Amino acid sequence: MSEKERQKEGISRRSFFKWIGGTTAFLAFAGQGYFYVKALLPRVLYEPLKRVKIGLSKMYPEGGKFLSKLRVFIFKEGNEMYSMSSVCTHLGCNVKIVPLAKPKKVKVGDKEFTETFEFFCPCHGSKFHADGTPYAGPAPLPLPRYSLEISPEDGQLIVDTGKEVGKDFRIKVKA
Amino acid sequence: MTQQGVSWIDKLIWSWAPESFKEAGESIVKNFWLHWFPAKVSRRSLAFNYSFWLGTISAVLFAILGVTGVLLMFLYVPSVERAYPTMKDLDYVVAYGWLLRGVHRMAAHLMVAFVFFHMVRVFYTAAYKKSPTGGSRPLNWIVGVLLLVVTLALSYSGYLLPWDQLAYWAMVIGSNVAKSVPILGKKIQFLLIGGTEIGQATLIRFYVLHCVFLPLIALTLIVYHMWRIRKDGGLACMDQMVLKSEKERVESVGSKTYSLLGITRGMEVNVLTSARAEEENLIPSAPNLAKRILWVTLFTMFVTMVLAILVRMPLEAPANSAVAPNPAKAPWYFLWLQELIADTTIRLGRFTINGGFVGGVLIPGVLALWLALWPFLDKSSPQAAGVWFPRERLRQNVVFTLIVLGILVLLFIGGICRGPNWDFYWPWQPWPELPMHF
Repeated sequence: MSEKERQKEGISRRSFFKWIGGTTAFLAFAGQGYFYVKALLPRVLYEPLKRVKIGLSKMYPEGGKFLSKLRVFIFKEGNEMYSMSSVCTHLGCNVKIVPLAKPKKVKVGDKEFTETFEFFCPCHGSKFHADGTPYAGPAPLPLPRYSLEISPEDGQLIVDTGKEVGKDFRIKVKA
Repeated sequence: MTQQGVSWIDKLIWSWAPESFKEAGESIVKNFWLHWFPAKVSRRSLAFNYSFWLGTISAVLFAILGVTGVLLMFLYVPSVERAYPTMKDLDYVVAYGWLLRGVHRMAAHLMVAFVFFHMVRVFYTAAYKKSPTGGSRPLNWIVGVLLLVVTLALSYSGYLLPWDQLAYWAMVIGSNVAKSVPILGKKIQFLLIGGTEIGQATLIRFYVLHCVFLPLIALTLIVYHMWRIRKDGGLACMDQMVLKSEKERVESVGSKTYSLLGITRGMEVNVLTSARAEEENLIPSAPNLAKRILWVTLFTMFVTMVLAILVRMPLEAPANSAVAPNPAKAPWYFLWLQELIADTTIRLGRFTINGGFVGGVLIPGVLALWLALWPFLDKSSPQAAGVWFPRERLRQNVVFTLIVLGILVLLFIGGICRGPNWDFYWPWQPWPELPMHF
C-alpha cells in the first residue's frame, strides 16, 4: 500500500492496534468493576419472611394491635380486619399509635369519618389520620396497607408485608 | 555531625535539631520524615494568626483516629449479636477500653469540627485562589471539599458500628434518604444495606467502609492535599510575599529555582522571590516547621484526652427495630440535615417530593457543588488571596457567613428546640412526659 492509499483509508496499522489495545484495556478494567459491584448485590436475602401466620382472628382485640417484628398494625372493627404498615413513608421510622382524648371528625378527600386514634412519627414529626393519610409533617404518602388472608389449613390470619393492597381492602372474620 | 565518633543517638536525631543553616538544609534531604517539607518556609505561613493551624490539627486528629481505630478493631466484632456486647466490654472490661473508645469518639467529633473550621479559614482568606506563580489551588480546594465529605461519611459510618439505638435508627433514616432518590433510589439502598432490611449484611458493609474503604480514600486525598500545597507554592499567604517582592524589587535577582526538575526543564518552579524578601521572611523548615507540628500534635492529643476523660460517652440501648427513640436525634453535625429533611417535603397539588430527597440529597449536594465551584466564580484580584477579610471580597464573605449561620441556626433548632415527635419547644419550655410504651 502506498503512502497515499494509506492516508485515504484514514487508519494506519499503528493507530488500529492502539485502538484495539486501548479498548481491550478499558474493557478489562470495566469488567473488573462490573463483577466487583455485582458481587455486592446479594441474590439471596437471609431476611425474615414477609408472609407470616399471625394467629387466629379471635386473639385480636377490637381496635389496633402492633406487631413489632413485622412492623404492622392489625386492626379489627367488628367482623372486619385489615392491616397497616407502621413504617413512616418519610424515612422509615416506626409510627406510634396515639389514642385521642375525644373522638375527632376528619375529612379525607370526599370521605368523612370519626377517628379515636392517630399515628405520630417520633423521628421527624409526621402525623397521620386513623386511615393512614398524612396530615402534618414531612411524610409524603399514606401508610401502606398490606394483604391479609385466612389460612385454609388452620384458620390463622396471614399477613403479607410484601404485598400492598388498596385502602378499602378488608377481610371478613367471625367477630 | 557526620564525622566519626558521634553516638548513634546523635546520628538519629541531629536532623530534628540542626545547628546551622547547612545542617538545616541537609536534614530535609537526609531525613525520610522531613523530606516532604520545603527547605524553607515563610514566617507568615507558620503564624498562628494566619492559619490557626487548623489543617495540621485535622491531620493530627486523623492520625489519632487511625491508631485508636486499629486498636478498636482488635476489640470489636462486627456482628449484630456481638457488636453491642463488645461495646459494653470496651466500657467496663477492657483495660482503658473506655479511654480508647473515648479518644476515638472525641477525635472524630473534633475532626468534623476542625475540618469545617479549616474550610471556613480557607474561604475567608481566599486561599483557594489561583496563585500568581501558577499553582493550581482551586484543585486543592476541591480535594478539600471532598475531604470534608469523606470526613462526614467516616463519622456517619463510625457511629453505626456500636449497634445501639442511635446506630440503628441513623441507619434506617440514612438508607431511606438514599431510597428517596428518584428512579435509582431503591437500587442504591439495596447496594448500601445489602438487602431490603437493615441487618447483618448492613453492619458488615458499614464496618468495611469505615475501617478500610473510607480511611484509604481519606489518606490518599490527605497525601495529595499536602503534596499540592508544595506544588502550588506553599500557603496562599506566600502569594502576597511574591507580589510585594516583585513590586519592591530593589536589586534584580530574578528567580530562584528550588528543584532539580526546574533546572533540567530550564524553568522556575513555584517560588519566585527576591533575595531581600527571602532573607527577611524565610526560615528553615527544620526545625521550625517540624517543631510546630510536634507542638500541634502534643496539644491536640492533650485536648482529645482531656475531653475523652471529662465528657460522658453515651451508648444507647441495644438496637431495637420496634421502637425508635422519641425524639430520635442524629449527632450534632448532622442535626441541620435532620432538621432540613423534616421540613422540606414539597407538595404541589397531588404531587409530593419526599423531604428526604430535598433536604438529604438535593440541598447538601447543591451546597457541596457550589463550594467546589466557588474558586472559579470568585473574580477578585490576586491581591485578595491569603489575606483575612479583604475588602473586595466583602460581599462573598457575607453570603458565605450567612450560609454558615443558617446551618448553625438549623443545628440549634434540631438540637435544642425539637422535642418528642419532633415538635418545636423553646429551650426553656419543658417537654411533655410520654408513656414509654403504646
